[in-house]
Amino acid sequence: MRVRPGPVLAALALLLLPGCVRPVLLDSEVLACREGDEGTPANGVVLLAQSVPSAAWVPCLETIPLGWDVSGLEVTDEEAHFWLDSDRDGARAVEIRLDEGCDTTGATRIPSDREAMQRWERVTQVFPQYVGTRIYVFDGGCISMLFRLAGENRAEPLGFATQGIGAVPRDAVRAAVHEQTDGRLELGS
Amino acid sequence: MASVPQALPTAGTTGPAVRPGPPAIARVRRRRRPSGEPPALPRQLRTSGKWWLALSGAVLLAWAVVIVTGTIRYFDVADTRVLQAFAELRSPLATDVAQAVGLLATERALHAMWLANLVLLVAFRRWRHLFVWFGVVLVVVNVAAVMATTLQRPRPFEVELLGSWSGFSMPSLPMTVLAAFLVSTVYALVPPGRTRTIGKWVVCGLLVVTALSRLYLAQDHPSGIVAGVVLGVAAPLAAFRLLTPNSVYPVRYSRGRPAHLDVSGERGDAIVRALQDQLGLLATDVTPFGLAGSGGSTPLKITVKAHPSSGEGESCVFGKLYAITHVRSDRWYKLGRTLLYGRLEDEKPFHSVRRLVQYEDYILRLFWEASLPVPHPLGIVEITPEREYLLVTEFIAGAQEAGDAEIDDRIIDQGLAAVRRMWDIGMAHRDIKPANLLVRDGDLFLIDSAFAEVRPSPWRQAVDLANMMLVLALRTDAAQVYARARRQFTDEEIAEAFAATRGLTMPTQLRRMLRQQGRDLHADVLRLLPFQLPPVHIQRWTWRRFGLTVVTVVVAGVAAVVTVGLLGSPL
Repeated sequence: MRVRPGPVLAALALLLLPGCVRPVLLDSEVLACREGDEGTPANGVVLLAQSVPSAAWVPCLETIPLGWDVSGLEVTDEEAHFWLDSDRDGARAVEIRLDEGCDTTGATRIPSDREAMQRWERVTQVFPQYVGTRIYVFDGGCISMLFRLAGENRAEPLGFATQGIGAVPRDAVRAAVHEQTDGRLELGS
Repeated sequence: MASVPQALPTAGTTGPAVRPGPPAIARVRRRRRPSGEPPALPRQLRTSGKWWLALSGAVLLAWAVVIVTGTIRYFDVADTRVLQAFAELRSPLATDVAQAVGLLATERALHAMWLANLVLLVAFRRWRHLFVWFGVVLVVVNVAAVMATTLQRPRPFEVELLGSWSGFSMPSLPMTVLAAFLVSTVYALVPPGRTRTIGKWVVCGLLVVTALSRLYLAQDHPSGIVAGVVLGVAAPLAAFRLLTPNSVYPVRYSRGRPAHLDVSGERGDAIVRALQDQLGLLATDVTPFGLAGSGGSTPLKITVKAHPSSGEGESCVFGKLYAITHVRSDRWYKLGRTLLYGRLEDEKPFHSVRRLVQYEDYILRLFWEASLPVPHPLGIVEITPEREYLLVTEFIAGAQEAGDAEIDDRIIDQGLAAVRRMWDIGMAHRDIKPANLLVRDGDLFLIDSAFAEVRPSPWRQAVDLANMMLVLALRTDAAQVYARARRQFTDEEIAEAFAATRGLTMPTQLRRMLRQQGRDLHADVLRLLPFQLPPVHIQRWTWRRFGLTVVTVVVAGVAAVVTVGLLGSPL
């Protein structure tokens, strides 16, 4: 076999340089609240549910407006969060976390727009960029949405958080696993 | 072959020495390698490498089939049953043991392994292995991450996950990275042979133990572990075998220049076979020879069967083994000189080993045809196409280097006549130093014509003269050499030579020997001259040098940034 190492090394070098940055190939479908004909939660939502077994609700994405992208998903046995970039409000404009518990100190409780959840709002900074947190507390966990908005129109991302970022009950996730495995396996917990 | 002007020596000069021809060597019929037959020393993956690559292909194919047919559920069920079987074995003590054993696949351990490898490879200046290491690890990590994100397989169901985990589970990223790290370590740091074989078994054992730990703790699916290990083993195995073959980039811990290749084993056999096929020489022994004086190739003394007419059983030929590494060294060397000093005549690098060897053989034949005292060229032997070639010449048996030999007027005249002859035929040697002037039985031989040049600048030819005079004066004195030089060169020519020659233009060995002797021979000659010419400046600023300097600084900056980034965990 005759191999020219030059091109091979050049190709490796090309991979090497961007290699410092993990390729981002996330699709918003990975966190969809409903996908496929059955309308079951996507596997990213299942993974979030596995990270916080006590949580009765799991965050997911209903719809993503134009200009928004899912840019990161990090789910481990210790934490579960994902974040979105906006072409107007900057990178990591909204970060969504699922935890067993949330600190609501300094937050204001306001009427909730979601059933079985308490809603809390905390504004940390208004200028030059808006920094605030919205927290939904429910049985066995909480979903927090951290906003870092650099754009001038803050109503749009806050509205997106209300309508685009959804939550599915754990039972729906459990049903998805049941359906995917032809009823042979259960999510557990 | 270009014709050589047959200039006659001017009156009062000494012509090239007449010396006996090379010893008679037995020749057999040469054999043309049929199309399709591998070369003497082929580059190959070997069977295990092909198997691992085939396994990787099978894994990729299996994933594709699973995705297209939506049959991941069957794997999920099978994997879960295996994990449940492991879970049946759980006990507090076994869990502690499994967690301890599984430490190798944790992010901290992998980071430590990564840094240790980088430090060791830098310390041993094994740059090629280092870059392949970088490439392999980053490619494997990113490919595994992309696959995991694409396949989106959740963690195991119906089993309590005891250990830490992160992200989707197919393939198992920790196992992929661990396998890639361990295999890369074996190929980059462990010498081939028995030690490496032991190393491979150790790696195998570590992977099995870590995999069992992760299965016990339900951190991964069994199929995820298998896929990860296959990917993690196959990629570095193929990369290291193809890009850092042992025969060219040996992993060894003995002293010795990296330019010198190991000529035992496969390569030694290949050289013997290729000599017979391509030159008809029957070699019986191939040994390194005079390594200390050579930094750009591997010089060899090759014992061959003598011609029956010589009445002796054996004779010798000299071989210079060139590999792709020598071409790269030549390239870096010339880039360095261009950056430091500007354009010094022909500093264009060679782009292939074949060209380099062809050039040296051509120069040697020009010298030989011009009756210069050089070894008789015998031809070129291809060891591996475009990668390794052997230049074969007459072996000057029983000769001493000019720095050690007795130098008298006859030797001085021969040396100066050689320079005169090169001037006459429009050539320059460009590397006249004690190691390249051999003396035997009152005859001087000029060897190593790799740097020689056809139609050089007058400046380069002048440098040859000064270097020749300095080498000859090492064992005599400046006055004696100057007196003999005036028989073949004018004072103007000698003055020009010493105006052109200083510092960088002298070979390193010559500079070192001058320093050791504590004599300033250069100044001695200048004092003898009736007049002196202003020194010729060698610092030349050109747009090319400026551009190269800027590009080099930028590349170095990017490399520094990348290096700092790489010092962090590749995960």
